[in-house]
Amino acid sequence: MKKITRTWIINGESRSVETPPARRLLDVLRENLDLKGTKEGCGEGECGACTVMINGEIAVSCLLAAGQVKDGAEILTVEGLERTEGGRLVQKSYLDKGAAQCGFCIPGMLVSTYAFLRKHPEINEETIKDAHAGNICRCTGYVKIIEAVQAAAERWPANEGGPS
Amino acid sequence: MAVKERSAYRNVGQGIVRLDGEEKVKGLAQYADDVPVPDAWYGEVVRSPVARGRLRALHLDPSFDFDRVCVVTPKDIPGKNIVDLMGQDMPFIAFDDIQYRGEPVALVAAPTRELAREAAAHIKPEIEKLPSIETIREVVDKYLNGHPDDLHEMAAQTIVKGNISDGFAAADKIVVGEYWAGHQEQLYIEPQGMVAIPEDDGGVFIQGSLQCPYYIAPELIVTLNLPLEKIRVKQTAVGGAFGGKEEFPTLIAGYCALLALKCRKPVKIIYDRHQDILYTTKRHPVWTRQRTGVKKDGTITAMEVDFVLDGGAYTTLSPVVLYRGILHTTLGYRCPHVFVNGKVFRTNTFPNGAFRGFGAPQAIWGLESHMDEVAAAIGMDPEEFRLKNALHLGDATGTGQIISEPMGTPDVLIKTLEQSRFSDKRALNTRGRPRDGKYHGIGLSFFGHGSGFTGDGESRLKSKAALDLEYFENGKAGVNIRISSTEMGQGTMTIMPQICADGLRIKIDQVRCPFPDTKYVPDSGPTVASRTAMVVGGTVFGAAEKMRKALEEFASSSLFGGEIVELDEDQFTGAISGKSRSFQEVATAYLKQHGNLRVYNQFKLPDTIKWNQKTFEGDAYPSYSWGCNVAEIEIDALTLELKTTKVTCYFDIGRLINPVLAKGQVEGGLIQALGYAVMEKMDIKDGLYDASRMQTYVVPTALDIPDFDIHFIEYPYGHVAPGAKGVGEMPMDGLAPAIANAVVGALGVRINDLPITPEKIFRALESRREMAITA
Repeated sequence: MKKITRTWIINGESRSVETPPARRLLDVLRENLDLKGTKEGCGEGECGACTVMINGEIAVSCLLAAGQVKDGAEILTVEGLERTEGGRLVQKSYLDKGAAQCGFCIPGMLVSTYAFLRKHPEINEETIKDAHAGNICRCTGYVKIIEAVQAAAERWPANEGGPS
Repeated sequence: MAVKERSAYRNVGQGIVRLDGEEKVKGLAQYADDVPVPDAWYGEVVRSPVARGRLRALHLDPSFDFDRVCVVTPKDIPGKNIVDLMGQDMPFIAFDDIQYRGEPVALVAAPTRELAREAAAHIKPEIEKLPSIETIREVVDKYLNGHPDDLHEMAAQTIVKGNISDGFAAADKIVVGEYWAGHQEQLYIEPQGMVAIPEDDGGVFIQGSLQCPYYIAPELIVTLNLPLEKIRVKQTAVGGAFGGKEEFPTLIAGYCALLALKCRKPVKIIYDRHQDILYTTKRHPVWTRQRTGVKKDGTITAMEVDFVLDGGAYTTLSPVVLYRGILHTTLGYRCPHVFVNGKVFRTNTFPNGAFRGFGAPQAIWGLESHMDEVAAAIGMDPEEFRLKNALHLGDATGTGQIISEPMGTPDVLIKTLEQSRFSDKRALNTRGRPRDGKYHGIGLSFFGHGSGFTGDGESRLKSKAALDLEYFENGKAGVNIRISSTEMGQGTMTIMPQICADGLRIKIDQVRCPFPDTKYVPDSGPTVASRTAMVVGGTVFGAAEKMRKALEEFASSSLFGGEIVELDEDQFTGAISGKSRSFQEVATAYLKQHGNLRVYNQFKLPDTIKWNQKTFEGDAYPSYSWGCNVAEIEIDALTLELKTTKVTCYFDIGRLINPVLAKGQVEGGLIQALGYAVMEKMDIKDGLYDASRMQTYVVPTALDIPDFDIHFIEYPYGHVAPGAKGVGEMPMDGLAPAIANAVVGALGVRINDLPITPEKIFRALESRREMAITA
């Protein structure tokens, strides 16, 4: 099969992959780039476990073909959260509030939280629920996830994010 | 045995952060599909396209090059072609009878998933089709209308107390109700996954997403024809289970192992979501009929229950699900005359299996809907009726078990009623006349949940725990907890170190609970039945006390010149000299002098527990947790969309080990119960579940959750410290009937079939309108 080369900024590092253009971004991340933090829960864009951030917007990586993601795109996966103050804050907040149980939805959930908070939207329970409605969690009942997002929002660093 | 006062605990009772949390928020936890397995092949299952029939032949398409792949058919099975579960009626690979659509007829492995799928598509079973029974409706129709010979009964059990005819004779009124519920999918977010690696000694090493390592290993002995010590099973991180990874993983582990042993390569099977929904276990559909005799003053005189489960195609664990089910059909109420008739029948669908609650949610769905109907029939308020009949200390259950230590019945009921202001709010029920475009209702349920295995199961199981004092990889001395209990999100890896540290009286950072591996851990029993914190926790606590005594003796003789030494708050202190040494110092000295120290402990039920497994008389469970749910709902008068706005509840789960984790269990369980109550719908079409993807099987999202007001009342289990009872399953038990009772308050009509969808609400309102017109 014909392959293409793509160079993306993944978690702050420039990385090139050679891949069939129709290969799912999820598989390229997990298998070609060994970023196993991103999970497959349904493979059809319903559960959000494979959520990543591309150029500041969240996307489900199981529904994107590698060829659809342009050269130079900035991709953030769960492994990249540690690089920023906001990302570390979100991780710690989930931990402190008990928002991770089995943890399988958490990589996608955390990326949704991070993308939501760095856009500085109006933060209240309703906007938080809306922003995470595409991430299904079967363990927590979402209560502690919402608490974690609220706690992170209260201490969100001023220099973090803004729509890119 | 005395339970320690709360003040004796340093870690138990604290909401410490989960110990496996950091790797989870960093994306580093390794689930089944994340574990690196060099040179792994991928497995696929070739399945029957018909629900019932006779397999005549298996055709391998000659145009496909099968030399590139490995195919396993029944003749390749080294041992017996059976899955060693109850009934032993299920073959690993079908060879004659086909009992459900999707039943395996061959296995394939190949170096890539694509090639494995391609090969599987070139294997065609030739099957003579036979008539099938696929739904609980068909089963009940035949059962009630005189065609029992068409049915295959998989299990049956009765409970008899007093004389039911006497009970009905003493009643002023007899109330009958029937209640139905369909399948429910566990929908753990991590699909089923397993890897089997062939070992040089002819054995096999199995790793994957599972709840019960000591189910898989012994169950595969018969099939693989290997001794237990050559079947090693290790748990990877588990992305949710809810019972779905209790008995099912033996199948997928067996497929991997059979392929791996034939092709001599590691073989991995990770189900995609569609496969996972179609070809794994579900909650048993149920039909239950409750017939209750009651006096005008509200006294219950007789409870007669029919309880029928749809077992699916093979027996698996259905008898035990039935037992837990029937034991919960009358639980919580005083009644002198009880007759319960439980049965499981076969349908030609994937075998139904374990799911959080294990028959109890189906039973309590019927019971708690019915209790409202009985109260209404004699003109009594539902809360007053429950308060009058709820069990107190000294009362007997339906099996004659005396409530012999203080428990949360009726305390959780009293407190939830107060906290929710139930009686005041019930007066505002709209009863079919919408207010501001909405119907409003409030509903109640009250229930117990048996903790641990049914009857004397814990006596037969003899749950074991070991502790290893050894060096951690950081060079420090520490204690590894060796149990087969698994972490699947509920917190085993955190609560066990809390309990162990308190038994030893040391700091918790010196205790760890690694993933179980049958090479290192004894059999503590499966991680099921709300038993882990209570039974295995108690066993770990006992082991920790033994280790503390051993180390105190060592310290006394080797480091303190023979004086009495006590370990507390991480310090060994001499009774006379008053001098102190830290746990680290003493443990390191021990390791240098004697090497590793292993301590065992085994759970034992008190001798007072008496149970007759034939007649179902006596002490049905070691103890009970108790809960009460009050649900407040709104139904849009135009769209009939039902929104649960608030849930108030009290739970008695015994001693709280970790309040944050316990509350997480309750919140998550209530939301799963909310899905069961109003959303999660699955019917059978052409032998398969019609909702077979996440697009069609709809579960609650963040937008669906109510306000929660959750409280705990602690009535510790008195037999072993620290005195936890079960929490995992109970939140699943009571929300569906509480919502159904709220629907009656809102609309004035009862819906007796789960889930309560807008379509069913529409039909219920229509039928009431028709009745009003014809009347």
